[in-house]
Amino acid sequence: MKQQAPPLLLRRLLKQIIAYEIYDEVEGDLAELFHERLNEMSLAKAKWLYFIDVLCSLRNFNLKRKLTFYNPLVMYKNYFKITFRNLLKQKGYSFINIFGLALGMASCLLILLFVNNELSFDGFHEKKDNIYRLDEVQSFGAVSEQKVALSMYPMGPSLLLDYPEVIDFARFWGTNRTLLKHNNQPYYVENLARVDTSFLKMFDFKLVEGNKVTVFEEPNNIIISESLAKVIFGNENPMGQLIDVDDDRENQMKVAGVFADTPDNSHLQFDALVSTTLWDEENRGNWGWNFLNTYIQLADNADAEKLEAKLDDFLVKYLGKDILNAYSLFLQPLSDVHLGSMDITHDYYNHKKFDRSSVNIFLILAFFVLLIASINFMNLSTARAATRSREVGVRKSIGAFKGQITGQFMMESIMLSFIALIIAFLLSWAAIAPLNGIIDRNLDLSLIFQPINLVLVLIVTTTIGLLSGVYPALVMSRFNTIMALKGSGMKSGKSFFRNALVVFQYAIAITIIIGTVLATEQLNYMQNLDLGFKKDLVVAVNMYSDTNTKYDVLKTELMSQKNITNVTATKQRLGNNLHQNGMQYRSDTALITGVTSSVVVDHNFMDFYEMEVVEGRALSEEYANDKAGLSFVVNESLAKELGAGGKEVLGMAFHYDGMDTLGTIVGVVKNFNYNKLNLKVDPLFLSYQEWGWSEVNVKLKADNIQEGLAEIESVWSTLFPQRPFEYQFLDDHIDKMYRSEQQLTKVISILSVLAIIIASLGLFGLASFTVKQRLKEMGIRKVLGASVSEIVMILSKKFTALVLIAFLISAPITYYLMEGWLAGYAYSVGIGAGIFLLVGVGSWLIALLTVSFQSYRVASSNPVETLRIE
Amino acid sequence: MRGTHLGEFEELVLLAVAALNDNAYAVVVKSEIEEKANRKVNISAIHTALYRLEEKGFLESSVGGATKTRGGKSKRFFKVTAYGFKSLREAQSLRQSFWSIIPQLSTHE
Repeated sequence: MKQQAPPLLLRRLLKQIIAYEIYDEVEGDLAELFHERLNEMSLAKAKWLYFIDVLCSLRNFNLKRKLTFYNPLVMYKNYFKITFRNLLKQKGYSFINIFGLALGMASCLLILLFVNNELSFDGFHEKKDNIYRLDEVQSFGAVSEQKVALSMYPMGPSLLLDYPEVIDFARFWGTNRTLLKHNNQPYYVENLARVDTSFLKMFDFKLVEGNKVTVFEEPNNIIISESLAKVIFGNENPMGQLIDVDDDRENQMKVAGVFADTPDNSHLQFDALVSTTLWDEENRGNWGWNFLNTYIQLADNADAEKLEAKLDDFLVKYLGKDILNAYSLFLQPLSDVHLGSMDITHDYYNHKKFDRSSVNIFLILAFFVLLIASINFMNLSTARAATRSREVGVRKSIGAFKGQITGQFMMESIMLSFIALIIAFLLSWAAIAPLNGIIDRNLDLSLIFQPINLVLVLIVTTTIGLLSGVYPALVMSRFNTIMALKGSGMKSGKSFFRNALVVFQYAIAITIIIGTVLATEQLNYMQNLDLGFKKDLVVAVNMYSDTNTKYDVLKTELMSQKNITNVTATKQRLGNNLHQNGMQYRSDTALITGVTSSVVVDHNFMDFYEMEVVEGRALSEEYANDKAGLSFVVNESLAKELGAGGKEVLGMAFHYDGMDTLGTIVGVVKNFNYNKLNLKVDPLFLSYQEWGWSEVNVKLKADNIQEGLAEIESVWSTLFPQRPFEYQFLDDHIDKMYRSEQQLTKVISILSVLAIIIASLGLFGLASFTVKQRLKEMGIRKVLGASVSEIVMILSKKFTALVLIAFLISAPITYYLMEGWLAGYAYSVGIGAGIFLLVGVGSWLIALLTVSFQSYRVASSNPVETLRIE
Repeated sequence: MRGTHLGEFEELVLLAVAALNDNAYAVVVKSEIEEKANRKVNISAIHTALYRLEEKGFLESSVGGATKTRGGKSKRFFKVTAYGFKSLREAQSLRQSFWSIIPQLSTHE
């Protein structure tokens, strides 16, 4: 008679229900009953009753034997012990495994800190969601359109008056370096700003002393930062002290408040604030001039887009119908000002402004570096699994369940990832100071240890441990007990998954490296590009109203020094965004007005910077018209605009807007890059006007820079004893414009090096395991007469293929991505096949080196040794 | 004290285990109760009671005796502990003490 067994499906169900410690007995009891019933009734009925029994057993869902000796703690202790023994047994691999992950984690942590810092900009203002910056789009003809951060003085109050949804406005009118005097002791202050009385109400800058509401009640009040107070007053109480402020005109101001130094994550930075009241009368009707930032606060339920749509009408109301040809207005949310202003020029008060897309690039990179590290971790753990098959065999044979084995290895991997986390903390602690130096930020590691962030970090670490542990754990627990005991639990030829991971890792690393190389090339290219003027050896010294009166003397004195070759003066420094001004010109008989960049310069300016004149002549002292400010030189962009329709540009009647008489255009200068190089060269005109210089430019002899500087200083100090001598090199100033890009490329370079190191670490570990698995094969080959080089070849072949596949995958992706990035630059390097080849061959060599290091060891070993292993 | 209380069904199971003497595992306990008490019991109820009694300390158990009809699975034999016997006697004497003071019954006898 065929032995009837209870239905398998129901037995499986039972297994799910009953705790595994008592499953055996319970199932046995049920089976016995089933067989008893078979003697008395039909099979179907017995099955049905069995089903009822199983169903009723649901009640025993929670049943456990608690009295038996069952102490999992001992087991866990054993897990820990075995984990550490294994770590110590294979120190090299453990190091690679944990250190690689720690590297990835550390870079990820630091990047997240940086990103967090970027996103925190202006976040401390309570009304931040309702605050918008009023920006303009200025356009001139069809040539260019540029967004500028500036707005006009009367715009704020008029908006408040005209639109109920605007509930407040605050203007921030920054000034140049200003000289303060207290008891006749001079101090320079970098950022003195004139603001509206509402400024402190709208923005939450902390007042340490003084009252937020009343602080600007007196027009002659000034509030200063804590550090400035310390500099000027030392330990004295600054409140009520008098300061002479030489801001356009001499004002005596009273200190009415002290504010905490502006936090580094505020886009507005200032050392002292005064009220706009003193300048209000003369500027109240000053439409047409853009020189300050306006912030408006909208009502809670107001729709910024709807208001934006009404701003055209607003402009027309105050500036006439034609204004729309030159201007439009838009509102920029406060949260966008720091990260979303890369395309906005004349953005003078935007501290450390940064590109949001760069932040995203960082995030992506951090993710991928962590991914590479995790893959490594997983790969190495899986490879190591092979060496631990005996342990799994023993555990299984003395009764370990599959789930327990899985659990053990998962736990192990989580534990390792936590060890890696601790190392990562140490690494980031060591790296944060140099990193802060590179990116010019004040990142603080303690942020990680705030409860919420710490929990997040722990969760991510656990997840990494779980995810990278799950594959090896499943592989290990699936070992056949007998095979595992024999020591060959891992079937060979099943490494497809691991190989795919290696390819993936290398593809990411290659992409990152090619990207970095291209980005660095682009940056170097921009910095070394011929700007159209000579920026080397030029020293810029700021001028002020009192020094301007003696400019001629200064110039003559400087020219007579032997280490100074030339001296000129300008109203604006090259490399800045030059100011936009209104202009007017006569085309045929019509008088046309427009807006364009302009700069007021000394006669010899173009000669000083060796600019190339393509038509007409440069400005010169010898012409009376030039001296009278009636001669203008335009750049090629403006000439193209003015000469549209085949008109003759030379001799065209031209002047600043608002002038009664027109001058003439006397020359056209070749376009030179006065802006950042990712921007096109905008229309520009130069002229000599007696409006006062903002700086003197001095050219030094190449071999005697220090002496030259000393000469300038001695001339300066004799002429202007009241002004401390300060200077800046023009090329430093221009390099500064690329700081954001430089920081970006530096950090990315570090990351890409890390990426390849981590990937190589992984490959190294993996290679050594593969090599070990094939020890015997290599021994036999050697016995049969293979040479060392042949064996190295055999072992390296596979990895070469992997890197090649990785390269083939990453190359087109990289090409596509980088082409998009470079398209954003007006002047860009081409993407050559050379870089791809270089990086491809380079990464192959690195891979080969790591692998052959292992294979050479095997190849040169004695086959007797390798063959003996059983 | 929690866990020392003996329920009606539990007492029945405990008695059955005591009666079966060394051969008490779930299936025979079930048939013993069904026979003596003349009531249908599901095996799962026996399991619940046995394991709970063991947890309470009334029973102790050992493993053994796999047979073919059980699909090679072992049995768990239960034995009443000294504590279990004590509790059984206490329960009995408790009842006895009530019986002795019920007046109608004593007069009718």
